[in-house]
Amino acid sequence: MSVLADLLASHIVRTVLAGAALLGAIAGMLGAFAVLRRQSLLGDALAHAALPGVCLGFLIAGGRDLGSILAGAFLAGALAALAMMLITSRTRLKTDAALGIVLSVFFAAGVVLLTVAQARGGAGSLGLATFLFGQAAAILRSDLWIMGGIGLAALALVLAFWKEFKLVSFDPDYARALGLPVALLEATLTVMVAMAIVVGLQLVGVVLMVALLIAPAAAARQWTASLGGMVVLSAAIGAASGAAGALVSASTRGLATGPLVVLIATAAVLVSLMVAPGRGLLWQALAARRARARIGEGRVLAAMQGLARAHGDTGYATEGGMLATALGGAPTPARLAALERRGLIRAVVHPPETTPHWELTAAGHAEAAALADPAGRAERSP
Amino acid sequence: MTAVFFGSIEAMILLTGVLVGVSAALLGTFLVLRGTAMLTDAISHSIVLGIVVVWLLTGQTSGPAQVLGAAATGVVTVLLSEALARSRLVKMDAAIGLVFPAMFAAGVLLIGLNARNVHVDVDSVLLGEIGFVWLHTVTVGGVAVPVAVATLGVVGVVNLAFVLAFWKELKLATFDPGLAAALGFAPGLLHYGVLTLTSVTAVAAFDAVGAVLFIAFVVVPPATAFLLTRRLWLMAVLAMALAAAAAAAGYALAVVWDVSIGGMMAVMTGVWFALALLLAPGRGLMAQALRARGELRDHDCRVLVAHLHTHQGRPEMAEENTLQALIEHLRWPEPRARAAILRAHERGLVERRDGLLSLRPKGLAEADAIFGRLR
Amino acid sequence: MDDHSLHEPGHALHVEDLTVSYGGGPVLWDIDLDIPPGVMCAIVGPNGAGKSTLIKAALGLVRPVAGHVRFFGRPVTRMRGRIGYVPQRHSVDWDFPASARDVVEMGLYRSLGWFRRPGAAARARALAALAEVGMQDYADRQIAQLSGGQQQRVFIARALVQDAPILILDEPMAGVDAATEEVIVALLKRLRDAGRTVIVVHHDLTTVRSYFDWLVMLNVRIVAQGPVARVYTPENLRATYGRQLAMIAAAPDDALP
Repeated sequence: MSVLADLLASHIVRTVLAGAALLGAIAGMLGAFAVLRRQSLLGDALAHAALPGVCLGFLIAGGRDLGSILAGAFLAGALAALAMMLITSRTRLKTDAALGIVLSVFFAAGVVLLTVAQARGGAGSLGLATFLFGQAAAILRSDLWIMGGIGLAALALVLAFWKEFKLVSFDPDYARALGLPVALLEATLTVMVAMAIVVGLQLVGVVLMVALLIAPAAAARQWTASLGGMVVLSAAIGAASGAAGALVSASTRGLATGPLVVLIATAAVLVSLMVAPGRGLLWQALAARRARARIGEGRVLAAMQGLARAHGDTGYATEGGMLATALGGAPTPARLAALERRGLIRAVVHPPETTPHWELTAAGHAEAAALADPAGRAERSP
Repeated sequence: MTAVFFGSIEAMILLTGVLVGVSAALLGTFLVLRGTAMLTDAISHSIVLGIVVVWLLTGQTSGPAQVLGAAATGVVTVLLSEALARSRLVKMDAAIGLVFPAMFAAGVLLIGLNARNVHVDVDSVLLGEIGFVWLHTVTVGGVAVPVAVATLGVVGVVNLAFVLAFWKELKLATFDPGLAAALGFAPGLLHYGVLTLTSVTAVAAFDAVGAVLFIAFVVVPPATAFLLTRRLWLMAVLAMALAAAAAAAGYALAVVWDVSIGGMMAVMTGVWFALALLLAPGRGLMAQALRARGELRDHDCRVLVAHLHTHQGRPEMAEENTLQALIEHLRWPEPRARAAILRAHERGLVERRDGLLSLRPKGLAEADAIFGRLR
Repeated sequence: MDDHSLHEPGHALHVEDLTVSYGGGPVLWDIDLDIPPGVMCAIVGPNGAGKSTLIKAALGLVRPVAGHVRFFGRPVTRMRGRIGYVPQRHSVDWDFPASARDVVEMGLYRSLGWFRRPGAAARARALAALAEVGMQDYADRQIAQLSGGQQQRVFIARALVQDAPILILDEPMAGVDAATEEVIVALLKRLRDAGRTVIVVHHDLTTVRSYFDWLVMLNVRIVAQGPVARVYTPENLRATYGRQLAMIAAAPDDALP
């Protein structure tokens, strides 16, 4: 605990922590919509496409001025989004090709501008590494204010237009028929994603921004069935990943914040995929096993009831070996124990034989009958 | 002669760029058609992890070990993404966007942890530096050839051989995977084959152009070719030609403006694409606009003919067959009405006398055709 | 020319000169269509005939090259919210995190206006609409867990909640079980009897005569339109379906149950 306290005593650590958590929350909230609208990779494209804007902002401002860098990144992202829409709507090229084209060409233009900026000099901190991986340590107090402002603006938009965003994400055709300004709403959502990217670029960098948009949302989806729940949970997971990444990075040497945040968020997704109730893979496996067990148990009951009927004796004691023959294989002790636990069969002694015998209880007879004839058709036949 | 060629720095830089472009564009043709262009993006990033791991294990930053590592990383990336998507809990695009950033992050962390031992210049890993390809040479047949050129040459030959050998199968698998599977080819396997070769080419190209610029060569020239033709072999050839041209033009401009060579080459692929988007005959934006206008005018012309025919020779003709009637009854704005009349006049369908429009014989024939079709 | 005076108000749907073209050729050509109010109308035609495109163009979802559309004399922009649209079921990703009630409430989003949340009144109306399609017990069920037929009914409930005079459904009975189809048809007939106009893109010729009273036969152009009894003839079927008619019995007058 004192380690934590020591860490938090540092001003820089607190700033980075706040920045990472804030970014995680913003990316989580907006990423939920991107993921639901199948625009996960749009974030990737926009993040790469921002480079020329960042460089232009740097060049025009003559230095590292967050405001102009953000504005440049934002404009570049907007242009990229427009280009993508143009390509997908006016050619037979599909979304993936449009994303790839915009991503790589814009980024290439950015690389060219980068060399221009580097030639001009004074681009010390504007190495490509900074753009690609972010430079969490370079975050300033003032940057936090800007991030917070953008975050609040995004939150306000999401709250104000909640139901419209919900409908447009689910069924844009119906929304259009209803008269909602779908193009405007979709553009707003895309712009908000661009905002999130722009905010996160300098903290975690391009590639990792992609993950921050997708992972918390993907994780949150596994736990909740409502959009509101998903957005809130996604923001929370994002914030937690950001904070955890910042803390771990601060307490070790040689581990950068950005990649750590991404790995933590990805881990959250994997855990969610495994464990989430209802959807998680472990749950599915358990449910499948339960279903298989029920089927197996049903077969035992059916076999026993068949034998009882053949002998005209509801209290017929089935011998273990006979049961094995009827079923084509001995039922496992666990299965018999489960049936016993459910009160459907009971063990009996059937002298002079010494091998184990089982008989159906009244409940067992009822269950076997129900399994054989679930719709009660037997009663209706003459 | 060859020694001079391979000794010329400029020629080597150009050759490297062309080799990267041609290899990438050839494979990219199939990726773009299959709709999996973004997997290239994924592989180009996750491959950083492969490079680092191989380097940690063998200490080599190039050579057969790295090639194997690249191939493995590419396959792993795609396998993991597809496995994730198959769980149905996550959609395919999200799956891709989860796997490669995680792998990339792991790679970056590993680099950071081991940065003490070796100075790994991240910029060069991701950007490449084509200007320095001539630094490391290997002797081939008595001539000193840059390593990058030799590697890319070999990779290019392998790619070409693969594509030529499996041409029919690739063609079928790209356009109709279902049929290919039914016929006993393994379209999935071929698909993985292309992706593996892409990964290998990526690693070979890293020295020269770096990861993200490699994507440009894989995706953009084939997309450009797609706008120009639908024939597969022509598309592949055009893609390779466009890539080579981009490499040449990019290099020239980069020298003139003193900017990043690799970046400029990639930008030129984008320039070709933009040009094709605008100007492609039939499919380009300008052609679309012209066609839309033409269609609208032709349609209006037909409506005009039908309208005139309905009222021709009838008492209301004086009222109906006028410009004013078009504006009021068809609710056309005046410019549109005038344009329709002009078009019909150009085609010899109508004539105008004293403000009254009437159909000429050719127009009557057209009207018969229109109404005949409705029967 | 946008003119806001009523044009052909006597028809529930009036289409004139409608042409839609996607660059490869016309998908709809010169469509002239009049559907009177209070009918249950089927739009039929082979695949690729433009049936869905006709609906989408009428609703303003697709831009026509020429022509105009009026609902009760008004352009669609003045009828927003007063047309209940039920799109094809597969046009949506049902893995969206929402309950059946959530989806039905979406039909009220326009009438609620900006910035308002669905309150108790809206929830009640949504529940009532679900009850009309027999889905009230599934109100809080996740839509991903619903069967195809149940999803279709939720979609219809969403249009119902708008309380609109016109309903337009795109292949509502494709891929649903027989029980659901019965429920849907009975509901649509009830609505028609109550005075609403119901327009359905229908995929199954064998049920046209028993379900509908008005018919539009479409194959890029209008082949025929009018009361079912008058329009559903072998000649019109042949003209609409061409060679595909081989699968359908020669004499459609064969008694249907």
